[in-house]
Order: sequence, then structure tokens, then C-alpha cells
Amino acid sequence: MNPTLHFQKAQRIERSLAKLPAHLVEIRIEAAMLAATHWLNASLHALHANGESTDVLHTYMLTVNEFRRLSAAHQALMEMVAEIEDLRPVNVRGDTPGAEAAAERACELLARVRGMAQAIGAQVHSG
Amino acid sequence: MSLLHPLDDFELWFWSAMLGGTNAVNVALHMAQVTPAESAFPSQPGVYHVPDENAAGGHRAVLQSLGDVLHVGRPPIQGPVPDDVQRMMHAMEIIESHRDPCTRGESEPTADIVAQCQAAYAECLGLLRKRLAEVPA
Repeated sequence: MNPTLHFQKAQRIERSLAKLPAHLVEIRIEAAMLAATHWLNASLHALHANGESTDVLHTYMLTVNEFRRLSAAHQALMEMVAEIEDLRPVNVRGDTPGAEAAAERACELLARVRGMAQAIGAQVHSG
Repeated sequence: MSLLHPLDDFELWFWSAMLGGTNAVNVALHMAQVTPAESAFPSQPGVYHVPDENAAGGHRAVLQSLGDVLHVGRPPIQGPVPDDVQRMMHAMEIIESHRDPCTRGESEPTADIVAQCQAAYAECLGLLRKRLAEVPA
């Protein structure tokens, strides 16, 4: 999918996320994962690390080789999306105390991912 | 789900139905004693996070063949599954069929897709409620 569509999807998901109260932790973490993945894919296309026909579905589904290759394109983005993904097993699928803090952390990471992706998009357009 | 508009907020509305329905299937699988009801949370098929007070974050990943499904079919359930739970899983497959095209890809969600997901979700939860109602008090 092309970077513009990824941007639009990410923004749509973030608009919906803003409607959700803090205690709906499961869907807030999932929303952060979905939107951050769109921002990541837009960036990887813009950086020519992946063609528009190749999108990352989940960072943990990548081979180690591929994770390292994409991290060479943008390590911080890959690490932040991976950190959001790692919040999911225990806080989305589990019933462990502390999930609200995990959701806040996911949203913080999403904001940083968005900022980096927008900067990459602006740089590509201006360059 | 009720806070989200089915079309304007499709991605998260859909994802909520998928999460809720998958949890319902896991409940039914526990009730039917097909999978164990335990504190083991999947990160991928065959890998579960279990409590461990000595581990960073309070959980560690272990290999386990049987447990909660992440999505219907991930992992596939081995062994006999009661008919009503199979129907719940089939309803979830209808929902799941719209996941990647509409949340990851370029497919535009439509009123028809929303209606299909609503009907499948209602069927899945209805079957769970029936199962719960049949549990002796």
C-alpha cells in the first residue's frame, strides 16, 4: 500500500482512538499497534526499504534477517513498534494488573512513531 | 464497540468485535474442556506468557501446545470441538475474513461488511450466552 494511504489509515485509527476512555486498555493498545504499523509501513516505503507491495504485518512475524534489514533503515521506529507489540500478550490477552499503564505507554510510543514518520514523509517530499 | 461508529471508526469497531468474539470462543473452549483455563497468554501460536515473579515484567515466555487461540485457527484446535463452539468459530471466521483487507489493506469498509460482522458477532455471543445459561447453578 502506498505511503499516503498508510498515513490516512493511521490518522483514521488515531481519530477513533481519541474517542476511547483510558480504561478501555485492550483496544487502546491494539489501536496503537495498528496505527503505529501503518506509520512504520509508510516510512519503510518512503525510505525505499520496502516496496509498496510489501507491508510489515507484525514485527515479530519478520525473520531475524528481515528485522535486522529494516532496523538498518530505521532502528528507532522498528524498536518502538516492537515494544508496542510486546505489550499485547499480557495486557491485551491477559488479565494482569497494570494494563492501564501499558496502554499509556503504547499511546506514548505511538505519538513518537507518528512524529518520526511524519518527519520522514516531510523530508522525502522536500528532498 | 458502542463508543465507535461502525463505518467512521471501522478499524477499531471491527477490531473490538474481533477481540470480543475471540475471547468468547476462548471461554467456550475452556467450558468444553478443549483448552485449559489458565494464566497463559499467547504471543504467537505455541508461545505463551506465564506469570513468573523472577522474570522482567513478571512474565516469561514458554512453549506450550495447547491454550488460548490468538485468532480462530491460530493455532488450529486439535481434537473434537462441540457443535455450538464450531458454529462460534465459523462466525468468527466471517469476521476475520475482513481483517486484513479492511484494516491493513485498501478495501473500503461497506455497510454490507458491517452487517456481516454485526450478524456474526451477535451469533458468536448468542451461542456463548446459551452455553453459559446451561451451566448448572
